[in-house]
Amino acid sequence: MGDRTQRIIDEVTAANWVQDGMTIAVGSPAPMALLRQIIRRGVKNLTIVDSGVTLDLLIAAGCARKVVSYYAGGGFGVPVAPAFRRAVERGEIEVWECEEGILTTGLQAAAQALPFLPWRGGVGTSLPEVNKDLKVMQDPIRGETLIAVPPIKPDVTLLHAATADAYGNVQHCGGPGWLDLFLYRAADRTIVQVEKIIPNEEIRADPWATTIGGADAIVRAPYGAHPFYSRGYYVQDNAHLRQYLEASAAAAQENRSEPLSQYLNHYCREPATLGDYLERIGIKRLLELYEY
Amino acid sequence: MPTNEYTPFEQMAVFLARELKDGDVLRVGVAMPVAEAAVRLAHLTHGPNMELIFLGARMNVAHLETIPMPAFGWDRRVVRWAESYSDTGHRFDRIKDWDRHVFFIGGVQVDPYGNTNLIGVGSDYQHLRFRGPGSVGTPTLSTHVGRYYIVLNSHTSRIFVEKCDFISAFGWGTGGADARRKLGIPGGGPRYCVTPMCVFDFAEDTKRMRLRSVHRGTSAQDVQANTGFALAVPTPVPVTDPPTVEELRALRTRVDRSGFLRRNA
Repeated sequence: MGDRTQRIIDEVTAANWVQDGMTIAVGSPAPMALLRQIIRRGVKNLTIVDSGVTLDLLIAAGCARKVVSYYAGGGFGVPVAPAFRRAVERGEIEVWECEEGILTTGLQAAAQALPFLPWRGGVGTSLPEVNKDLKVMQDPIRGETLIAVPPIKPDVTLLHAATADAYGNVQHCGGPGWLDLFLYRAADRTIVQVEKIIPNEEIRADPWATTIGGADAIVRAPYGAHPFYSRGYYVQDNAHLRQYLEASAAAAQENRSEPLSQYLNHYCREPATLGDYLERIGIKRLLELYEY
Repeated sequence: MPTNEYTPFEQMAVFLARELKDGDVLRVGVAMPVAEAAVRLAHLTHGPNMELIFLGARMNVAHLETIPMPAFGWDRRVVRWAESYSDTGHRFDRIKDWDRHVFFIGGVQVDPYGNTNLIGVGSDYQHLRFRGPGSVGTPTLSTHVGRYYIVLNSHTSRIFVEKCDFISAFGWGTGGADARRKLGIPGGGPRYCVTPMCVFDFAEDTKRMRLRSVHRGTSAQDVQANTGFALAVPTPVPVTDPPTVEELRALRTRVDRSGFLRRNA
């Protein structure tokens, strides 16, 4: 009998799982080490299940053809993420219009191999008109009006978590992230980048703390969520995020694309690895963020 | 700022805080500074059994002297207040009990029947003139919560339109007290719409928006001039009860310590 197969791969190899035209889902904390590799490779025509600034970044970098998004705000007083807004208004990307309840329902349908699951939120709204995949139905039990939500099935889900062992057992710090478990359950394959690889014995010492028991790949990625937070490790780098949002807004609203291409080149395209990226951020800045 | 002066945002926050009852479960989403202030103020002044849910963070911090803003969501300042967290799926669970939940909603368009639009502006969905942020969780929340408040950061006739280009949260549809029941939408619907100029409510029978009160210094004519549909206006026009000295002091020293509502109104 051979040894149990280890699932640790580097971020470059892992990100190669994402190919042009696939559907990817992005968790929170943001798996930035993986997303930067996708941008670096210039992957195109992705359908992206994501929200907020990471979605904006992937659109700004030209990776998106379609987005499954319930919310694309920028934070920091930016009501609509700039690259998202411009790309949609120009018809450069398609939106699979939804909302949080419909999104989780579609992910659940995919996870449970069902053709649809019903949801009530959205009845009476324009959602079924602007998203033809959502079907208004009469339920066969009580005859109520509901929305049938088809499966939302990512080819690859990309997550960031605190720790994992070599066999794909993941433990989030302070519980699983925002949508992470929905995205994991629905996807064909899941890559989890983690702050720290820990021994299998440590996982078995507290199996109830394992949030994902079957990640397909584990990527060693300390500080891999920067400029976002990683619970238990570091806080969000708001100055960096503002810098990105200003660059994205300059490109989208003033047709001034230089700051954005500089940002993308400097932080996403030129650094070959996470290590190269972190060198550009600098140890001093990273240590400033090292709190919880 | 002296306590006989206050900004429209402060008036809005105080009005909303008075609306909130002890025991309410208050759900506040993103980009709603007035609602964030209102729930904090209510919690500190008369809501020891309120639960505040900021995104997924559920808290009761009535014992604190201050609950300063801005601080939000996964922000570490909120993390230290939370008693529990939930991911999106759990957040939308136990919906059967949401009749005691209260929610606040904004919109890029609002129509006379309290339908709101966060999708975008334009006659053709494929070619929007303005693309909004998306519906967030507002379709589900507005469907199920016991009552909700439409809270707007500005009051213009571009926001208040006779008909929303798209509806992301169903208020009273095309009107009528049974508009929601006919579609099997269980929640109580929008109660008031609060803006920097005034408070709107909804007529009992038609559920069409009408002027309930104007904030001090604003006239009904001002409101109508900035509203893109005809309003029913009571005579005389009531003035929104201004904030008391105590309310303003609590708001400024215990909640809005950085002066966000004083600067941005």
